[in-house]
Amino acid sequence: MFRSDTARAGFKGACSESMSLALSTLIYEWRRYMAAVVALAFSGLLVLAFAGMFMGMGKSFTATIDRSGADVMILAPGATQLFGGPSGVPRRLIPIIYQHPEVEVVDYIDLSGGRFESMDQAALRAPGATPPQGQRSESVMVTSIVTQPGNPTIPVDYSEALVEALRQPDAVVLDETALTRLGVQLGDEAIYNGHRVRVVGVTRGYANFMQPGMVMSRDTLRRYGEAYNGSRVGPLMVRLRDPARAEVVVAQLNAGANGQYRAWTRAELSAANEASMFEEGIIVVMLGFSVFLGGLIGIAITWQTLRGAILANIKEFASLRALGVGMGSLRRIIVELSFWVGIVGIGASFLLTWLISLLAGMFGLPMAFPLPMCLAVSALLLIIALLSGFLSLGMLQQSQPADLLR
Amino acid sequence: MSTSASGKHGTPAIEATGLVKRFKTGRTYIEVLKGMNFDATHGDLTMVMGPSGSGKSTLIAALSGLLKPDEGRVDILDVDDLWKKSSGRIDRFRLDHCGFIFQGFNLFPALTALQQVKIVLKYQGLSPAEQDRRARVALEEVGLGHRMNQRPAELSGGEKQRVAIARCLAKSPQLIFADEPTSALDGENGQVVIRLLRRAAVEHGAAVICVTHDPRLEAWADRVIKMEDGYILSDEKRVPDPNPAPLAH
Repeated sequence: MFRSDTARAGFKGACSESMSLALSTLIYEWRRYMAAVVALAFSGLLVLAFAGMFMGMGKSFTATIDRSGADVMILAPGATQLFGGPSGVPRRLIPIIYQHPEVEVVDYIDLSGGRFESMDQAALRAPGATPPQGQRSESVMVTSIVTQPGNPTIPVDYSEALVEALRQPDAVVLDETALTRLGVQLGDEAIYNGHRVRVVGVTRGYANFMQPGMVMSRDTLRRYGEAYNGSRVGPLMVRLRDPARAEVVVAQLNAGANGQYRAWTRAELSAANEASMFEEGIIVVMLGFSVFLGGLIGIAITWQTLRGAILANIKEFASLRALGVGMGSLRRIIVELSFWVGIVGIGASFLLTWLISLLAGMFGLPMAFPLPMCLAVSALLLIIALLSGFLSLGMLQQSQPADLLR
Repeated sequence: MSTSASGKHGTPAIEATGLVKRFKTGRTYIEVLKGMNFDATHGDLTMVMGPSGSGKSTLIAALSGLLKPDEGRVDILDVDDLWKKSSGRIDRFRLDHCGFIFQGFNLFPALTALQQVKIVLKYQGLSPAEQDRRARVALEEVGLGHRMNQRPAELSGGEKQRVAIARCLAKSPQLIFADEPTSALDGENGQVVIRLLRRAAVEHGAAVICVTHDPRLEAWADRVIKMEDGYILSDEKRVPDPNPAPLAH
């Protein structure tokens, strides 16, 4: 008689049979806890988006390392990051590094920089026109690559065609994020430090927030008289015969360094560069502030939501107390509830952050979310949720079973 | 098929003497219990009746360890002077021996009938298998065998009260305190509930103390105590009517 009914009920029951009171309540009355979950999600988003943006900036800053053709890089002994600080080495190290049998090519990073001016392209093409004045003026950082095939200064994601284009004199490549800022497009001509240059390629994923970056060949740089000529050169880029042996070679090179240099694998240097970003005071202050703000908002809203939820079930809690369930057990239910709210909040937070990073990606703004950072934010959200739970424990005092008698 | 018997018929379950309870209202105190003596025996359905404000609810709160009286002592089962114990011990005593049925059903909206009953058994420290077995027996006993996986929103008022009774009976309590258990129910459901309480007394030997102002429940009682203004007006033993008139509202 009741077969179909009980079968259906049996299925529904089996799903929640083993679930605790806290978890069942959270799932069944999810609307009540929505505010807390959303608050946690946005707290997490605030911190994750900030940190992710900084990490993304760091990543694009280190893009030249991560995607360089070098398996090993050689910096001055005290240097902990690629750019900034004394990272260059004496030129005479180049033949010394070549002595290692597994080294195939050694070259060095050669940076420059100067003023970039866009020009009115229409006026430029008009027959018999005098070269127009620069319109917009920005300072750019220039990285040079050696265009010989297999040179370690060529990023791995540069196509053969792009390298070929860079072989032309006065050819430059810009990242897509720099185009608007510099006021140029692919194929445009512009002025760099008084020289006419032509944008022959556009890259993606080399955003630089401090200063737009530009890439040209070492030969072009030399033509402009901006290449290193002295006895010191930038960090060395080393290509190995077998990239898989990088760690071994680094260890061997460092063993024979005599304090003259330090060799790094690409991954090692990238990590060190990222870490050095967080030594920048302002980033730490901004991150700390976002953690503080996110925490404050998260606790306030989660706490109030939990209080309301406890109050809504206060009679049920009182009836459990009447039946002899102690205050300690009820407190555990609340703490467990806040734990689950935290877990759901973490999930919602990552979902939101993922959506935001998709949006940011569409605008070429890189964001990066390394695992330790995600774990730290998860821990933060869980702490927020549990703290809110502890704060709302006082509400349980209102569960007086004697009040149920009237 | 039923929960185990919990007391010997006719033996004393509760003896309370000189209970006094005052409540503060503004600057004055209102004395709700004025030196009451009370006793109840196993196997009896004891009805405490009286108008609102006569102190009946305060009385069972004091008897059951929910509200400490200002004076007097409560000897209950084998515990001498319950109110001398720590609040943790009193909680434990209630967990082991007392069942409560309130006017409101006080069921967690998120839990199925089966889970409502099991949760208390869990805190009694029973194994999951035993929790399940006892909860099912109790729900069968109140006639909800086919509604075990329903949540309160899917149950009628009468069914909810029966879940609350099952939650109470599953513990096999020696003492059952019911406060206006039928006043939120229609006549038919009220009858089911009072019948279950009567069964708990007769078949399980529990001392059932039922507070009500519904005169029609009198017919089911072994003993009727009438209260007014914190005193006992009358205390009569009676033989329950084997075929009481149906309750109707």
